[in-house]
Amino acid sequence: MKKLIKRIVKVRNTTEHLRQSEHYKTRDIVSAYGFLTPALILAILFIVLPIILAFTYGFTDYYLLKPNDKEFIGLDNFKRMMTDEVLIQSFKNTIKFVVFVVPLQLSMALGLALIVNKKIRGVGFFRTAYFSPAVLSLVVISILWTVMLNPTSGLINELLANVGISKQPFLSSASQAMYTIIAISAWSGCGYQMMIFLAGLKNIDGSLYEAADIDGANAFQKFLFITIPSLKPILMFLVITTTIQAFKLIVQPMVMTGGGPDYSTITILQYIYEYGFRHRNVGYASAITLVFTIFLVVISIFIKKLFREEKAA
Amino acid sequence: MKIVKKTLFYLLASLVALQFLLPLIWMILSSFKIDEVIYKDMDTIFAFVPRFSDLSLDSYVELLGFYNIFKNVGNSLIYASITVVVGLTINSLAGYALARFKFPLKDWILIFIIALMIVPIEATILPLFLVVNEMGLINTIPGYLLPFIINVMNIFLFRQHFLSFPGELIESGKIDGLSEVGCFFRIVMPSSLNMYITVGILTFLASWNDFLWPVMALSNADLMPIQVALNAVFADTYNIFTSHMMAALTIVTIPIVILYIIFQKYIVEGSMQSGIK
Repeated sequence: MKKLIKRIVKVRNTTEHLRQSEHYKTRDIVSAYGFLTPALILAILFIVLPIILAFTYGFTDYYLLKPNDKEFIGLDNFKRMMTDEVLIQSFKNTIKFVVFVVPLQLSMALGLALIVNKKIRGVGFFRTAYFSPAVLSLVVISILWTVMLNPTSGLINELLANVGISKQPFLSSASQAMYTIIAISAWSGCGYQMMIFLAGLKNIDGSLYEAADIDGANAFQKFLFITIPSLKPILMFLVITTTIQAFKLIVQPMVMTGGGPDYSTITILQYIYEYGFRHRNVGYASAITLVFTIFLVVISIFIKKLFREEKAA
Repeated sequence: MKIVKKTLFYLLASLVALQFLLPLIWMILSSFKIDEVIYKDMDTIFAFVPRFSDLSLDSYVELLGFYNIFKNVGNSLIYASITVVVGLTINSLAGYALARFKFPLKDWILIFIIALMIVPIEATILPLFLVVNEMGLINTIPGYLLPFIINVMNIFLFRQHFLSFPGELIESGKIDGLSEVGCFFRIVMPSSLNMYITVGILTFLASWNDFLWPVMALSNADLMPIQVALNAVFADTYNIFTSHMMAALTIVTIPIVILYIIFQKYIVEGSMQSGIK
């Protein structure tokens, strides 16, 4: 991204002298701005303006039901965040979700891709089967699994009973709920990423493997020294998108647990939603939004850097 | 040896496949049973294997008797279609302008678009709600649809696509007397059909699956899209039979299955394309 901006600026600078001598055609200017205006208006209204509002309201005690009472309170909202136990809990929960779900889901996706990359009869069926949860929306997935994981009469507990495992509380226990959500999210998301990995695997030059065969490499060495490095750009893309997506977790806990039991599954975005939307406490929730947004931007830049440096080394 | 290896492979691949398929099979099968049968079958193989004597459409008929889920499915289909048609037009026009014309501030607008791409949209959902609220558009269809009609990522994708669009085609259109707008809709759009389908399908899926924003922006029961309605029905969990719930889930999934069957190729390609920034 930054590279791209740099490149654009560079092109701009080098062509500056050309451009000043050349006149823009009025027709072009009119058409261009005509074509751009609807998009620019919408972008400013619905992307830029919310960020500005988060900035301004974050420093006030704005309560939505008393819009005329809002007062500038400086950094109070941000100080309050430091000692807000539920917010800290939701931050920890979100981190826990990200730390577990990203490696789990991506390694599942890569494993599946390796299976369906085999040139063997019937592989199309397996590909469709692994991909099938992708047709379910998050709400459908959440409801389906809540029913199946019912602690007293759910399908999963009945199946576990058949192999002699006692009934598990799953979503109704503070110690198991988040891990259950992690597992369900990985289950539902990995098929889609399998497809992306698969496209990457198909692009790897087959002669690399042949050369490795001649050198006497075993399957694991080939995987480690050919497959993984070749997949690096795709891996980077998936790590970034999955991580950012995972930080924004909200639908599954909203539908399955409501953030409970005992705040064990409440996430940052859900906390913002509860505070700002349900309780109309807009000032404080805007401050959290602001910190959260900046945090996400920094994280995505950081991951990109991490991959780039490794590449350079 | 080779046979053994092959058998092991199929065994492993099939076991993994079951993990993904069984919940779906159970969902669909249970939607054709009554609750008594669902729970009786649960610890037997018949949870996943149909016994045709037990299957019926009763749960669908009963579900529709107390909740007209098709109304919400219809709402969602309309919302997603509007988002696709209007969104594709607005975003591709902007992408086209950035690719084809020379005009003042062009580079800055492009940098602006790229900078907006890193804004994590759902994270700013609360201030977005405030903006729409202050415009007086909460609980209206425009207030719900407009914020997600704009998609800066799609503007950028279209721009990249149009950069390599052959200029001669447009020039020949102009010679035939078409205006810039005419050229765009008569020449550029039809010859970029693949691109439009790919972006369109992804937009449709995103709109169909959206949950958080409609919860905030559309609380009116008549306007509710299907995902929100599903959750509302489900939240009333003590009053709903499992079979009815499964019927609802199955109904909601059918349009997407159809979409995937028809457009499979575009969906995967599209997700790849958005990865190459």
